[in-house]
Amino acid sequence: MKKTLTINLANQVFHIDEDAFLRLRVYLDRIEGHFADTNERSDILSDIETRISELFSQRITQQKQVIVIQDVEEIIRIMGDPAEIGGGDQAETKDYARVSKPKRLYRDPDNRVLGGVCGGIGQYFKIDPLIVRILFLVVFFGFGIGLLIYIILWIVVPEARTTTQKLEMRGDPVNASNIGNFVKDEFETVKKNFQGKKK
Amino acid sequence: MIMDLENVKAQMRKGVLEFTILAVLSKGDAYATDLLNKLKESELIVVEGTLYPLLTRQKNAGLLSYRWEESTQGPPRKYYALTEKGREVLKELQASWKGLIDSVNSLVNQ
Repeated sequence: MKKTLTINLANQVFHIDEDAFLRLRVYLDRIEGHFADTNERSDILSDIETRISELFSQRITQQKQVIVIQDVEEIIRIMGDPAEIGGGDQAETKDYARVSKPKRLYRDPDNRVLGGVCGGIGQYFKIDPLIVRILFLVVFFGFGIGLLIYIILWIVVPEARTTTQKLEMRGDPVNASNIGNFVKDEFETVKKNFQGKKK
Repeated sequence: MIMDLENVKAQMRKGVLEFTILAVLSKGDAYATDLLNKLKESELIVVEGTLYPLLTRQKNAGLLSYRWEESTQGPPRKYYALTEKGREVLKELQASWKGLIDSVNSLVNQ
C-alpha cells in the first residue's frame, strides 16, 4: 500500500504516488530556477506543465490509475534536464547577479564534532575543517584560550538549520535552481540511507 | 584535443532549430506536440523541453501568435501561427540558409 496525492497539472487532475510527486516537484522547481526572466518563465513553465499533463494522460488506464515514479522518471528523460533544455544561459547569469548574497558564518550541523563551529569555519573559508580543528587544539594547548574561544563561538554563531541558511553558509546563491539541487541531494542521501538500512 | 562530437552536433541542431520551427509553421498552424513530432521525426530535437523556450521567445519577439483550442482529450491546446513579421524573418533565413549550404558544400567538396 502506498499513499497518493492529488495534483492539478494544467487543469487536469492526477493521482500520483508520494515519491513520484516529490521527484516531479523538484524537477519543476529546477526548471523554474533555470529561467530568470519572469515573463518568459511563466509561459515556458505552463507549456511544459501542459505537455507533462498530456504525457501523464497517456499513461493512465482503467487498470493503472496512478502516476508512479517510473512514469515521472521517463517523462523527465523525454523533457530533458534543465541544463540540456538550454536557452537559460544568459538568463541564469542575471539570476545569479540578482540574488547572490555574501556568505555568512554558521555552525554546520552536518559536519560536527562538538558544536559544528570548526565545520562552519571550514565552510566559510573553504578549507578542510580538520585543519581548523587541529589549529584550535594547538591554540588550546599552546595558549590555553582555544577552548574559551570555541565556547564563545558555539554560543554566538547560529546553526545552519534551513536550506537557505545552509546555502548561505556554503556561499551559494539562494535561488530555486540551487534549492532544487540541494533538496535533490538531500533526497538522494535519505534514499541511500533508507536502502542501506533495508539490506 | 579530442572534440566533443555530441556537443558539436547539438550546437548544429540548435542553430537551425529556430529556422525549422518557422518553416514548419509556414505550412500551417500547429500546436507544440505536432511540432515536436515533426522535429523528432527528423531528429532535430533530442529532448522535448528544448522547444518551449524557443517558442516563447519567438512569440515574444512577435514572430508567432497563438490561440487556444479545445481538445477532445487532455487540456486545451495552444496553436501557434506565423505572424507577418515571422514570414519576413523566415524569408531572410531561407535566403541565408541557401547561401550557407552553397558555401559549405563548395568548401567540403573542393
